[in-house]
Amino acid sequence: MKMLTESQLNELQQDLDQIRNQVIADLGKRDADYIRRIVRLHRSLDLGGRLMMPFGFIPPVFLAATTTLGLSKIIENMEIGHNVMHGQYDWMNDPSLNSRTYEWDTACGGDSWRRTHNYEHHTYTNIIGKDRDYGYDLLRLSDDKPWRPAHLFQFANYVLLSMFFQWGVGLHELEFERLRKREVSLKEKLPFLRAFFRKGGRQAFKDYVFFPALTLPVAPIVLAGNVSANLMRNLWSSTVIFCGHFTQDAETFTEESSEGESKGHWYLRQLTGSSNFTGSRWIHLLSGHLSYQIEHHVFPDLPAHRYPEMSKQVQAVCAKYGIHYNSGSFARQYGTVLKRIAGYSLPDSLRSRMMPAQKA
Amino acid sequence: MLAQFETAGALHWLGRQLFNRDDPAAFFDPLLERINPLLARQTMRARVLSVTPETADTRTFLLEPASRWPGFRAGQHIALTMEIGGVRHTRTFSLSSPPALWQQRGRISVTVKRIKGGLVTGWMHDCLRVGDTVSVSEAFGDFCMPSAAEPALYIVGGSGITPVLSHLETLAADGFQAPVTLLYYVRSRPDIIAAERLASLAEHWPALTLAVFTTSEPGQNQRLNDRHLDRVPDIDARRCYLCGPEGLMDLAGDLLNRRGISGERIQRTRFSASFVELDNDNPGGQVQFTRTGQQVDSPGDASLLDIAEASGLSPKHGCRMGICHQCSCRKTSGSVINRLTGQTSGRGEETIQICVSVPAGAVSIDL
Repeated sequence: MKMLTESQLNELQQDLDQIRNQVIADLGKRDADYIRRIVRLHRSLDLGGRLMMPFGFIPPVFLAATTTLGLSKIIENMEIGHNVMHGQYDWMNDPSLNSRTYEWDTACGGDSWRRTHNYEHHTYTNIIGKDRDYGYDLLRLSDDKPWRPAHLFQFANYVLLSMFFQWGVGLHELEFERLRKREVSLKEKLPFLRAFFRKGGRQAFKDYVFFPALTLPVAPIVLAGNVSANLMRNLWSSTVIFCGHFTQDAETFTEESSEGESKGHWYLRQLTGSSNFTGSRWIHLLSGHLSYQIEHHVFPDLPAHRYPEMSKQVQAVCAKYGIHYNSGSFARQYGTVLKRIAGYSLPDSLRSRMMPAQKA
Repeated sequence: MLAQFETAGALHWLGRQLFNRDDPAAFFDPLLERINPLLARQTMRARVLSVTPETADTRTFLLEPASRWPGFRAGQHIALTMEIGGVRHTRTFSLSSPPALWQQRGRISVTVKRIKGGLVTGWMHDCLRVGDTVSVSEAFGDFCMPSAAEPALYIVGGSGITPVLSHLETLAADGFQAPVTLLYYVRSRPDIIAAERLASLAEHWPALTLAVFTTSEPGQNQRLNDRHLDRVPDIDARRCYLCGPEGLMDLAGDLLNRRGISGERIQRTRFSASFVELDNDNPGGQVQFTRTGQQVDSPGDASLLDIAEASGLSPKHGCRMGICHQCSCRKTSGSVINRLTGQTSGRGEETIQICVSVPAGAVSIDL
């Protein structure tokens, strides 16, 4: 990790706070109009996809309906749900866009997400052992985690995790790893499990029972379309999230290094533990602007559509302190993610011989 | 059809499953309000039909609420919610129109005085135009009209006239027989609100005695005093209504009490929101936790989260540094200082992060 002195860290904090304060002072109608426009887009896509789906026996319509519904879920999860639950729009005082009560269109319950993602992941970002998002207890993505033979199959696990991502995220708080080691009891997890079955059941009921049954003669087509739309969302959201922290240059941290850290140190950890990817306006929208993962981790509660304009200032701050601003094309960043997953599935001795370029 | 999602048990349940929200009927609001804002289900909307100047700083807004609005009794208030610069603000106003206008023509009005430095009233005067919509709450308040044949005395100051207009026009339309006296205190003649409506009432309704007093015109100071009350016949038998600035209502209450008129015959209402600017250098205050009913005094700069925990509560929280929004709570009244920005919040209801919020005077938190 890039080392800065205590006074540099304080200065870094001031520089980033200044960027933050500028945006906060400027929040207003523009941001409200933006998120409302996105909500309207989501409602239109949702309605359009659901209405087209029963006519999916015509192949092009099936394709259009599935894509529309998939995009609807992606936009709702990424640009609306994730961002609203971070409190990015709480200042609007609109109960439909409130971080505490928002519930999104995915198997993971909002309350569980607020605990595991907003608190654990955003506070302890990339600290091995504390940030459970780092590899999701399933993948070995750094040599801080000792190699076991089971890791040889982790690429297949990764593909499965991506396909069923909403269920993986939904069950994240179960802490399966700790349950197995008996660090927590199943009894302690009962309230969580109840909430999980309520929310997961609701999602499964909607997409796999209610809408197919509503259009009974074409139920198999509607079911297939809804499954495909969910799959499309799962693959995309998993990919975006993996590109945010598991790229080649995204750093990891130890618990000791971040004990009692200052706000400036927290900022530094967010800057060096996250990675961006470049792309068109649509790519940014569909990723919920998590393509600006660095900006998101430094300013998680500022409206995400602001990240592109804040990015230039953040890059200037990084340059000032010699901090690496980890960005690249989507293909390049995702390539390094796949390489990391494959590389760390091997024992360290073999990995360093086969992939000398990869940072230890 | 959408209304079914709000009321019917099974459909409401289904709506929650399909749309992931407790008010499923509001799911399509973003599309419906493009067609007609009055179709929105999350809040009741009302369209501005006209804006009429009453005085230099007071305007009457004639509103057409969605037809499902439940109506009101004369003297009641409504909360109006407006979006200003992307932020929703809510303020309470008295209805200045009689209920008959709502029953017959589906219209209501509020008469709004521009408060110096007031964000919402200023915006209403400068920016709220015919054709715009605002959200309206259900009516509330118990500033009720006198029951039949009971003589009444109204002591009113400035824009406190608004709920009284609704009373008087309703009483006049009902042919109310008992004597009604209105003592109306304004700074100067041009400050009389709804002068024409008052003149018309005095002309066509023999039971009404109208007396206007100016308090700031050169050479005259006609502040409320005992002589004004001496002139009201049978004052002991009257139901008294006080509506206006706190100072006037306190004075009127004292004068009436001294005449032996019991408190239960006196009704008062408040009509203006307070817009006190708070001193950031003096944090702390009384904190009310509304769910548990606890009240604690916290001088100094302890955060609301710390105060809540010291009071034995365990609110949901996460990072304790203003990042994760786990601890966000509804503040129902009062101001707080944000530790991160040093800024003092508004006094209205809003969501705050309690881990970085310090009370600035008395606050109520939904905990």
